[in-house]
Amino acid sequence: MLVLNEFFSFFGYVYQLITFQNMLILFGSSLLGIIFGAMPGLTATLGVALLTTLTFGLETGTAMIALLGMYVGAVYGGSYPSILINIPGTAAAAATAMEGYPLALKGQAGRALGITTTSSTIGTLIGMMFLVALAPLITQLALEFTSIEFFLLALFGILISGTLTSKDLVFKGWITGLIGLLLSTVGRESLQSYPRFTVGLNDLEGGIEVVPVLIGAFGIPQIITVLKEKTILGDAKKVQRILPDFRVVFRNFKHIVRSALIGVGIGSVPGIGEDIAGWVSYGTAKNSSDNPDNFGKGEISGLISSETANNACIGGALIPLLTLGIPGSPPAAMLLGALMIHNVNPGPMINFDKPGFITQMTAILFLASIAMWFNGIFLARQVVKLLKIPMELFMPVIVILCVIGSYALGFRVFNLYLMVPIGIIAYFMKEMEYPISPLVIGVILGPMADENLRRFLMVTKGDFTPMFTRPVSLILLTIVTYTILIQIPVLKRMKDKYVSPWIKQVFSKVFVLFTGKSKIEKGVENGHA
Amino acid sequence: MRSRIILALIVLVLSVSPVLGAKRYPVRDITNVVVWGAGGGTDTCNRVVSAEMAKILGVNINVINKPGGASGSIGMNYVYNQRSDGYTLVGLSESVVTASVQGGWNQRMSVWDAMIIGGSPDILSVTPSSPYKSIEDLLEAAKKNPGSIKAGAGGAGSIHHLNLLALEKGSGAKFNFIPYKGSAPSQTAAMSGEISVVVTSVAEQQQLIRGGKLRPLAMLTPDAFTLADVGSIPSAFDSYPTLSEHLPISQAIGMAIKADAPASVKQKVQDAFKKALETPAVKEWAQKNYYKISGKTGAAANKEFANLESNFGWTLWELKAAKVNPADLGIPQI
Repeated sequence: MLVLNEFFSFFGYVYQLITFQNMLILFGSSLLGIIFGAMPGLTATLGVALLTTLTFGLETGTAMIALLGMYVGAVYGGSYPSILINIPGTAAAAATAMEGYPLALKGQAGRALGITTTSSTIGTLIGMMFLVALAPLITQLALEFTSIEFFLLALFGILISGTLTSKDLVFKGWITGLIGLLLSTVGRESLQSYPRFTVGLNDLEGGIEVVPVLIGAFGIPQIITVLKEKTILGDAKKVQRILPDFRVVFRNFKHIVRSALIGVGIGSVPGIGEDIAGWVSYGTAKNSSDNPDNFGKGEISGLISSETANNACIGGALIPLLTLGIPGSPPAAMLLGALMIHNVNPGPMINFDKPGFITQMTAILFLASIAMWFNGIFLARQVVKLLKIPMELFMPVIVILCVIGSYALGFRVFNLYLMVPIGIIAYFMKEMEYPISPLVIGVILGPMADENLRRFLMVTKGDFTPMFTRPVSLILLTIVTYTILIQIPVLKRMKDKYVSPWIKQVFSKVFVLFTGKSKIEKGVENGHA
Repeated sequence: MRSRIILALIVLVLSVSPVLGAKRYPVRDITNVVVWGAGGGTDTCNRVVSAEMAKILGVNINVINKPGGASGSIGMNYVYNQRSDGYTLVGLSESVVTASVQGGWNQRMSVWDAMIIGGSPDILSVTPSSPYKSIEDLLEAAKKNPGSIKAGAGGAGSIHHLNLLALEKGSGAKFNFIPYKGSAPSQTAAMSGEISVVVTSVAEQQQLIRGGKLRPLAMLTPDAFTLADVGSIPSAFDSYPTLSEHLPISQAIGMAIKADAPASVKQKVQDAFKKALETPAVKEWAQKNYYKISGKTGAAANKEFANLESNFGWTLWELKAAKVNPADLGIPQI
């Protein structure tokens, strides 16, 4: 009965919110968000932050429409440059490039964008459902995360991106991950403010910022490669079907649900957000796939997994924000500030202080994802046309965008001095088939790993035992250990022989349980049984 | 004759240009760099006031967070390295005065012109599942096993940390202090049970207390405090009168502009700041969120910060919690 009430009030809010002004703001901010996400260097966090100050004069509901529209749009928009030019617009879309770009090379950029649009929308919607249905439960789960869990999660994030992106030896991915970690230690560390590797430079005191590393490491090598090899993206001239093939979406329903669950879960953990969600989901898709060899060559399920998860993350991130006052992701932290300005104090008392506010936010998230879908379908068709521009003209524009993107953050010329050498080093690493993503993930997650490990040791006074006795920590530790050990050839062979068939059996049983359909039939549908 | 005209023109241009410059400020968006994390007291205060100031100044004020370092030194270093043109403000609180003695940076507070919004009193709470029902329970347990109880209070050298240190000194108890990047994460850690004790302000904790996520034990001010839905929270001074020698240490949340910014620019910012504090939005917000508005700017605010710098710097040095001798930095002992 309670759920039914919730349901009715949800549609009540949706109906209330549909006014001409609100719709204008909704579609406008969603479009702006997509552009923000698509521009290298402009992130969802920055977009929400900039928009926050523009919306203080608006009514709370309208302001939230603008901000959530921006947030959802920006997380989705990062996939455009990932797919089209192999430079992720935001860190959240780094995993998307793994499958999206190969699809573009095959001439299927339009198809990839269409699928991305729909799976992002579905991801946001599933995240939204979790927000309304499971908020109290997930809040409890978020509180199971203490310093040691955050450390292990950060470590896992770096390892998994290393594992997934390496073409030949996984160790290469881990090596770049470690270089990223090393870069993240530059600057004054956050617990005792001891300067590390600052070599007396004032500019390094605050540490190395993520955006110039992201742009330098992804952008510059890609630009050099494209111009050197004269890469020709697949023929985009023929009219492509942008509207998603619903059969594809339906066939990948399993991946969508799993990815959404991963996204919501990671989103609800305070402090980490869309970037990790994309990687973990992509990794899970690859590991549970029947054809892991197809990954990296334009596998649709991989694309769907990363894009569904990073958008599902939004609903997840709102859960601790609204029920505990703890932002679940960096853009959600900006939302918190916006809510405070509008005199809404999210926290355990929100249902008493502002009854119905969570349902209202859910309704807004619903509208934001619908707006994103329409904008996305409309834009994708136009964006694909960009590929008709000769690369010799297109790439220099990208170079300018990269420079502006690095500089715009804090207007620091120093960021350009960082971006260029990092880009050149990244190019040579890429030439030697070292993957770049783990480097960026290392810089993003490094401070979290470092600070939390040391805080954990302060809490336990140097004792590692709680790492093994806390349940969540033990689970994470097992996963991390497994990720490392499985790369040893002997163990890998054992896994392929004994463990994998067993896991697949369990998976297919669970699948049958949920859908009443056996995996064999599904294999036939996929055409590779 | 001609040279005289040129001279006169130069004089005219020189005398007018600062006025023109002042008229031109602000022509673009202002950034307010808050040195503590999003969602904490300093952050929300700055966001609310910046929003009103933006309306008055007619440009956006983008509030961003650069937490970390010793007492917000990372954010302060960042703003200090920006141009003195009034386009970058720093959102700070009284805790930043210890950044120099903590080795975070080598400047004095005199590099800033402060504007004080106000503050909220400090309160000590514990994890609801912990065995401590009163401040006596807690402090006696901490005395019995010194360093066994984990306590959080924002970052090292924050006002909450100083309150905790003063509490230790005044009562003879000893805690295992765990630093976090601001009040919000240390409150979360207390909710999750990673630490048992947390000291932050009433404004920051009230909702978690009212929601039953934290159990309040005592105010670290001389007076009891009545919180809606919870009732009266006693003062720690009732059971430990010697605390009055070390406490209270009051908050002074606010923002600052570089002292070497043009005087006309500073004046514009301070005027906007004062007007912003008078708006119903800020007033209502302060009352609803347990803040006491101060509104000091210029010499009065700078004097308060100089006093805080001396008081905090020397207190930390005496508590052996400082890395740099305040005397070496030229901080007078008031």
